[in-house]
Order: sequence, then structure tokens, then C-alpha cells
Amino acid sequence: MDHPLLSRRRFLQATGGTAVAAALAGCGGGGSGGGGASSKELSFVYMGTAEQQATWNKLFAKFTESHPEIKLKAEGIPLSNWGDFFNKLSTRIAGGQVPDVIQIATEGQRLFASKGLLEPLDSYIKKDQATIDEYYADMDPNLIEWDKKYASTDGKTYYLPGEFNTMCMWYSKDLFARAGVPEPTAKWTWDDFRHACEQIKAKTGAFGYAADSAYFAAIMPWLLTNGTSSFTEDWSKPTYDDPRVVEAAEFNRKLVADKLSPPPGGTFDAFTAAAQGKLAMFGGGRWPIISIRNLKATQKMGIVPWPTKVEQGSPVGWNGYPILKASKKKDDAWTFIKFLISKEGSSTFAQLGGTIVPARKSIANSESFLADAPKGTEYLYQALSYATPIPSPDKGAAIQKAIEDGWKQVLTGNAAPGDALGKAQTTLEGLV
Amino acid sequence: MVFVALPLIAAFGLSLFHWDLLGTPEFAGLDNFQQLVSDTATIRAVVNTFVFALASVVTHIGIGMLLALGVHRTMTRGTKYFVRTAFFFPFLVSWAAVALLWKYVLDPTFGLVAHYLSTTTNWLASPTWALPTLIVVDWWHTIGYTFIILLAGLQTVPAQLHEAARVDGANGWWRFWSVTLPVMSPTIFFATVITFIGAFQIFDPMVIMTQGGPDGATRSIVQYTYEKGFQSFEVGYAATLSLVLFVVIMLVTGLQFRLSRRWVHQ
Repeated sequence: MDHPLLSRRRFLQATGGTAVAAALAGCGGGGSGGGGASSKELSFVYMGTAEQQATWNKLFAKFTESHPEIKLKAEGIPLSNWGDFFNKLSTRIAGGQVPDVIQIATEGQRLFASKGLLEPLDSYIKKDQATIDEYYADMDPNLIEWDKKYASTDGKTYYLPGEFNTMCMWYSKDLFARAGVPEPTAKWTWDDFRHACEQIKAKTGAFGYAADSAYFAAIMPWLLTNGTSSFTEDWSKPTYDDPRVVEAAEFNRKLVADKLSPPPGGTFDAFTAAAQGKLAMFGGGRWPIISIRNLKATQKMGIVPWPTKVEQGSPVGWNGYPILKASKKKDDAWTFIKFLISKEGSSTFAQLGGTIVPARKSIANSESFLADAPKGTEYLYQALSYATPIPSPDKGAAIQKAIEDGWKQVLTGNAAPGDALGKAQTTLEGLV
Repeated sequence: MVFVALPLIAAFGLSLFHWDLLGTPEFAGLDNFQQLVSDTATIRAVVNTFVFALASVVTHIGIGMLLALGVHRTMTRGTKYFVRTAFFFPFLVSWAAVALLWKYVLDPTFGLVAHYLSTTTNWLASPTWALPTLIVVDWWHTIGYTFIILLAGLQTVPAQLHEAARVDGANGWWRFWSVTLPVMSPTIFFATVITFIGAFQIFDPMVIMTQGGPDGATRSIVQYTYEKGFQSFEVGYAATLSLVLFVVIMLVTGLQFRLSRRWVHQ
């Protein structure tokens, strides 16, 4: 052949160039974003899946109704965990797109506060002291104390504690009845739990529990009910190789090995499986409610505290709604935050089936929160009395990944619990 | 220039700093490069990526060639259109959709594979099988592309050459070896380089199907770069990693061009 298809030079231009551009696009940081918040609208960014979007939108409509002078531009980012949400947000902020208000869960509160991105709220609180006092009086004092202790590094207030999630065990009343197993009580133990799984599997063929490797929802409850945690109390040192952590991981591995739990790493959808009678139990806070309601299974489900081995325990994470230092609409932002924590806002959200438990005791115990919800929903609020804030040092996403990777290795049986968690511990030590 | 040179310079600049994305960058000198050499996870990611890329190149060209020959030789016009579309179609589907689809197919509880092969192997969660599984999923997604390039190459082989060879008494295999392959060699070369570069930048299926696990067994360089930059907030180190990717692709592509003088017929 006389002519090559492409000359070498052309070929390099065509392929090499694109390859390099594509490879480097990953670290450009979005410098061309610029923009920033529009000066006309109050921009709010929160984490919300498409399924949750409708609920939020109704809440925003309510706000616009009472404050027509403020134009709210809310944007939900649909991600499945807080680590990813904060990554996305940080990238955006680094690229110059700064919203006025953000929803920040415990996992990112300290990180954002320590970076000097947030406006201290102390002067706003002083101005509206009566409103805030009324709010705090309607709340479990633990939340106020934790918010002070973990969400700031310099003594200033950057967040008001908002709605929260604790962990309880959701169970299918149907499956327990079909297997002839009495429904769990608030005082049940790991042994009771394991026994129920075995009985249900033997009599109905359904899985007992959906073992998983989600940090908040499937690892921490087992550690805390075994009297241990992933980090020391001040989050300065990981304790992931503690023998009680290993014991908890082994307990979960055994559920998978004995086929009482579906194998991890697949696409098993616990909420749907439970609603269809194929799964007896899954761990959850308030968030499964939307799926369970959509599946019309609220009457078939019940909620109890997590089974215990050493003591009662539950992780807790709460929302904060800080105002960004770069915001040009700080007063409007404060008005919006006051709406979110108001009785009206809080009860609207609870009624709509928000994915979180209202911080206000009066709302959490009211009909608007408890109607069309599984029996035992009040345990979610009660868990505040014995809960532990989810340990979230600054490199949250990387830390979460290391913790989950180690646990997953145990669940799948790829590595001995001691080895996998020991290795994760080493990684964690390098991250704090 | 704006899209190639600027990011390249920016990446080089960033690689000399420690930067956590939200704070102010600190000058780090060659720290990031030192870390690179001692970081076992980087080495693992490079090895994974090489394994994936080599397996891709070899299998894509091999299987793609067989498919192209089969379609070119044996099919009638109508079926040829149909089969060509069928093979190429998966390439049009985004990696994200393909990855999610295969996650269902490979599900250990109710997936098609578990059902029809009656196996309990947890493909994506097994350190032995995870990477080979991704390589096979990559066939499904990308091989149609190689196939189309090779088929186009096959169609450029002049019929007279085959005729002449036949008259000279060459059998089918010999004609393939001494007529088809040499004429096609620039096409094969092009496909090799493209496949290699594509494979070296693989990211989506790892992130969606295995998150780089189990225990880093499927983590690619691009994914590791992403993790460092946007999960650990070590932007400087991530920039260093992306430079490594750049250098490796340049080197290997350069090597391919050099070696091509020996076998590509021009």
C-alpha cells in the first residue's frame, strides 16, 4: 500500500492529544466554572435522590408561600453517601461556585467549619435569641451538646443542629408471624437476633438480615452495640482493629456464610425484598420510609432498637445548614434557616415523609411524624439518649472508604477478619 | 493548545504542591514524586491497569479480527448489515448503563450468570475473578468498535491481489497471511494504539461495579487519581498521578510507533 491511512503526525494529533486532554481533565478542578451564586436568588444545595426530590420541593413551596420576597433556588444532588456529596461540593466551591446555604451532615461539618468557608452564626443567634431558645427547649439536649463538641474547632457556632438519623432495626411483621417467631422487643440481644434469622430462614426460606458494608447503616450499629467504635471519642485515633470490632465483623460474616444474609456486592434491594416477604430485617434510620410507603408496606413493617451484645448503641448524624462566608444574601439565608427549624417547616417536612427525624421533640412525637409509619417509629427519637455521633475526621470520604473496604473483605470471606480490619486500621492511621 | 498544553502545564504545576482543594496550596517540591515511588497502592493500580490494557489489546484485536473475518467472508449483504449493527450496538451504550446492567447480570443471588451456570461465585467480590470479569464486560462493550475498524480495513484489501494469489496457487491461510494481513497492517496498528489508550484510561466500570475492590484488585490509575484528588483531597498528588498516566501513554504509544516500522506495511 502506498499511502498509510493516517500520517504519524496526524495520528498523534488525533489520538494522543485527546487522550492527554481527557486524562488531565480529571484534575483541572473546574477552573472555568466561575460564576458563583446569582445575586438575585438564594441558592441552596442539598443531598437528595430523585425519589426524595418531590418532598423537598413541597417544603420549598411552603417557604416561598410565607416569604414571597425571597427567590429560592434549591438544587438537590442525588448521591448515595455523604462522602461523595462533600467531594462534589468541595470541587464546586474550589471552582468558584459557592451556594448561599448548604445541607451538611455530621460527616462533613467539622471539615467545612475548619476550612474557614462558613459564616459564624453567633451574631444572628443573638439577634433572634428567643427563637433559638424556643427551638433548643424543644430538643434533646444531647444534640445541642454534640453540635458544640464536634461541629466546630474554634468555639464559634457554624451550625444549628437540625434533623437527624439514628439507627434501628426494621423488620417484617409478616415474616416473623409466618415463621412463628415472636416480634423483637426493645431489649433483644445479638443471640435473639441470630436465632430469629435462623428460624425465619428454616421456616420460610427468606433471608434473615441484609448484611452490608455501609459505614453508618451497617457497620457502626454493630460496633456500638458491642461496646466499641471505629474511632476514639475525640476522633483522633482509629480503633478499627479492636477485638470487639473483629467480633462484630465475624458475626456478620457468619450470617453471610450461613446464607441467612444475601451475598454482598450484588444488587440486592433490601427495602423491596422486605416488602415482598423475601427478607425479614434490615437496618435503617428514617430514610427507608419513602420506599416503604411507595411499596405500601408501612403496616407490614415494625421498628425496634438494634439488638445488643454489650450495651445499647446507635450512630447518630444530624443536618446543619450553614451560611457560606462568600454569600451575598446572608440575611435571606438566615431567614431560610429559621424557616427550616421552625415548627411549621419541621412539621411540614415530617408530614411529607422526609428522610430524617425532626429535631423538635414535639414534632417527632406528633401525629404528623408518626402517622402512616411503621409501629415503633418513636424508637428513632429515643435512640438519641444512647447514641454516639458518627466518627467523621476531616478526610471523611477516604476514611469511609477504608472502613467499608475492610468490612466488605470480611463479609465476602476474602480475608480473615483480623487481617482485613488490621489492614484497614493501618490505612486509617495514615489518614488522621 | 488551550485544551492540551494548559492542563498539562497546570498538572505539572500542581504536582509540586500540597493542596486540599479548599485551603491554600503549599509548595511541596518533589514530595509528591517521592510519595509516588513508595506508595504501594500506586504500583498496584499501575499493574492492574497494565494487565487490563494488555488483555484488552490482545483480546480485542484477536476476537475483533475473527468476528470481522467471519462477517466479511461468509455473510450475505442483509445479514452483514444486521450483524454489524448488533456487534457495534453495545459500544453506543454509555459505560454507566453497561456497568449497572452487568452488575445485575452478575448478581450472586439472582443474576443470570448465577442462574444459568449454577455457580455461587461472587464474580465482582472475588479478588481472583473481579479483574477478569471486568475484562470480559469490556469485550461486550467495546469489541464492536475494534470490530468495525478491522472490518473496514478488510474491505480495503483489493480483490485483484487475492485473485492473483489464488492464481499463483496460494491456499486460504497463506492468502490471509501474505495478502490480507500486510494490507491491513496500518488498520491493525491504528486499532492497537486506540484500544491501548482507551484501556489505559478505563474508569467507569471500576467505579460503578467494584469501586476498585475487592481490596484494590481492580483499581485503575485513573480511578486512583480520582480517589486521591476528590476523596482524599490530595490534589497535588493526583496531579502527579495524572502525569504518570500521561508519560506512560506517551511512552507506550511511542514504542508502538517505533515497533510498527517492523511490521506495519506502508
